[in-house]
Amino acid sequence: MIRFEHVTKKYGDSVILDDLSFEIKEGEFAVLIGPSGCGKTTTLKSINRLIEPDAGHIYVNGKDIAETDPVKLRRSIGYVIQQIGLFPNMTVAQNIGVVPKRLKYEKSEILKITRELMDMVDMSYDEYGHKYPSELSGGQQQRIGVLRALAASPPIVLMDEPFGALDPMTRSSLQEEIIRLHKKLHKTFVFVTHDMDEALKLADKIIFMEGGHIIQMATPEEMLENPASDLIRSFMGKRAADSAPVQLTAADFMRPNPISVYKNRGIRECTEIMARRHIDSLLIKNDDDTYAGVVSVNSIKRSGKTTGPIGEVPLSENAVSYVTEDAMESFDKLLNSDKDYVVVLNEDDTIAGIVTKTSMAKAMADALWGDAQ
Amino acid sequence: MNFWNLYGHKLLVAIGVHFLYVLAAVSIGFVVALTLGILLSRVPSIAKMALPLISVFQTIPGVVFIGLLFLSLGMVPATAIVALAIYAVFPILKNTYVGLLSVDKSLLEAARGCGMSKMQSLFEVELPLALPSIIGGLRMSTVYTVSWAVLASMIGLGGLGEFIYIGIATNNNALIVAGAIPSGIMAILLSLLIDAVKKRITHAPQKEASAA
Amino acid sequence: MTMKLVLEHLYLVLLSVLFSTAVGLPLGIFAYLNRPARKVVLWASEVLQTIPALALLGMVMVLFGAGKPTVIIGLVLYSLLPIVHNTFLGLDNINPGIKEAARGMGLSKWDRLFSIELPLAFPMVFTGIRIATVTAVGVAVFATSVGGGGLGSIINQGIRTQNMRLIFSGTLTLMAMAVVFDAGMALIEKRMNRRATH
Repeated sequence: MIRFEHVTKKYGDSVILDDLSFEIKEGEFAVLIGPSGCGKTTTLKSINRLIEPDAGHIYVNGKDIAETDPVKLRRSIGYVIQQIGLFPNMTVAQNIGVVPKRLKYEKSEILKITRELMDMVDMSYDEYGHKYPSELSGGQQQRIGVLRALAASPPIVLMDEPFGALDPMTRSSLQEEIIRLHKKLHKTFVFVTHDMDEALKLADKIIFMEGGHIIQMATPEEMLENPASDLIRSFMGKRAADSAPVQLTAADFMRPNPISVYKNRGIRECTEIMARRHIDSLLIKNDDDTYAGVVSVNSIKRSGKTTGPIGEVPLSENAVSYVTEDAMESFDKLLNSDKDYVVVLNEDDTIAGIVTKTSMAKAMADALWGDAQ
Repeated sequence: MNFWNLYGHKLLVAIGVHFLYVLAAVSIGFVVALTLGILLSRVPSIAKMALPLISVFQTIPGVVFIGLLFLSLGMVPATAIVALAIYAVFPILKNTYVGLLSVDKSLLEAARGCGMSKMQSLFEVELPLALPSIIGGLRMSTVYTVSWAVLASMIGLGGLGEFIYIGIATNNNALIVAGAIPSGIMAILLSLLIDAVKKRITHAPQKEASAA
Repeated sequence: MTMKLVLEHLYLVLLSVLFSTAVGLPLGIFAYLNRPARKVVLWASEVLQTIPALALLGMVMVLFGAGKPTVIIGLVLYSLLPIVHNTFLGLDNINPGIKEAARGMGLSKWDRLFSIELPLAFPMVFTGIRIATVTAVGVAVFATSVGGGGLGSIINQGIRTQNMRLIFSGTLTLMAMAVVFDAGMALIEKRMNRRATH
């Protein structure tokens, strides 16, 4: 459908597109993403010849677009931009009819198309058709922007960060609508964004660009599972982890540096520490720093001792995990034990941390919403 | 170059006189307009009525001021200077007032919050920010004044207008052109000069701000 | 004061603004479309206005002789600046998103100009015409010096004969004319802007 062959574009000395070759198939929802300056917008705009490459060829439907009249080409490709760009001197209906009118559609035909399209996004023609763009909200304006691009039923629609300027609520509802429109109309969508959430939500295929190259071109699932570079991984943040929890270990979920004491500490000293820290048990370690066990307030009371080293109080056994252990297993241990935490040990049996219900919840929150704290 | 021998000296004198009229009139006009503009901006309720009035007065052709003053003051250079100064006041006054009022309100609040007195806020915040607009008015006034100073000769007060008037009256093209070109050049040079000044004083603080 | 002079003045002003628009609008469009010519066009129209009006009229008179055509040509030249400038600015200031959308949707250069850009720039162009009109009312006072008649003749006569009443009546009529044009056209402008705001 759309094929790039060795396309290069330079501005002065800086190379924007560097020998770019790829193909977008018919009916595909392709999302171009990457850091700013990666060439994603340039790639998009060279499809409708708003930007002319310096070298290489771009084929749309097998035809080299360099040999197509740009005006004709653009009329056969829908175009939606971030600034919306509705014509303020025309009504909503006139805006939608801009391209059909220039393609010499019958008036009645244009009216029919306009009504149908507006119904699709729940903006009735009778209510909104004769309004001017300035009378609509940002979200409504961009809905019309999308409809305008679809009006002459072009097989391809290009969208340049169309929802970038909208508030999150409006953006998400427009994303839903664009997915629905894509499913319904079976057109090829090429969509530029810098928002990975948006890309994952919309794309059949994500094209990740950096420095004028394609770093990875894959389905959202593939990209989540096997990000091709650290940059892509950082773009996806913790989402990759989110979909593959198997890779997480107890270390990811523990609270590091819990309070621990050596066996030879005095009992009174230990009770004081517990009182001061508002905790009811202490981790006890051997002289070589290895984990020995746990002493709780109750076991001290039961032993009846008030003096002497803490090591003389019988230690209770807590569930233990190792840092490399699967996080799931340490969860199970935590949930199945009557204790408040699972002790996590390093490979050499020294104490690494504890997994509590709180540390677990916090780690999950981080994974879901990013490292907010 | 017969023309130069005949009129050269006279032309130089005329240019000098013309320039002096402009300089004196614009200087007086500038001081008056700036003062009035600042005062007006302090009392917006009056200014709301004053501004349209200024616009109306601006439509009065300079001839009228010269004519009226001629009748009351007689044929002295002061007549021309005062008339031109009155005319020069309007663009500067309007731009001063508009410039001061369009200063971002949050900046005024910030100035007050920093503990600036009204005077300090005016001189350290408002006027510097309104300066580009004020200088724009000054440029407009200067160009107009060069143009209207031609009228001084209408009441026999010399300047480049003399050449133009005599030229028109006697159908002498050379004289018209001899009067028109120097006054055109004078207007262009003065407006370039003011533009250059404007660039200097309005750019400097911006650079400081971006460096801070 | 006779009605004839008022009408004569009006006639000079309206005719020159009409011609000035007819010349200035295309010049402004040309400056917008043609980047290399832009500076020259804008600069030339600015220089024209720095020449004293009387001198400009005098020079035109050298070529066309005394009379109304001279006045009108002079006034047209003199009022070009606001129209050319505002046409250019109006077109140049259109939101780039709108221009890009129009291009991206396959509107040709002239199609864009006539169906989108000019309608959007029109309020600004109209402001230019308003400024030109008000200026022309004032400058047309000089018409009398090059044999074009108008209200200037009353004022001149008043000055010559030291007749205050004559000067005042001429001036007040002139002011009234300028104010009516200014306010009337400002009203139309407001209407246009209300609709065109984006």
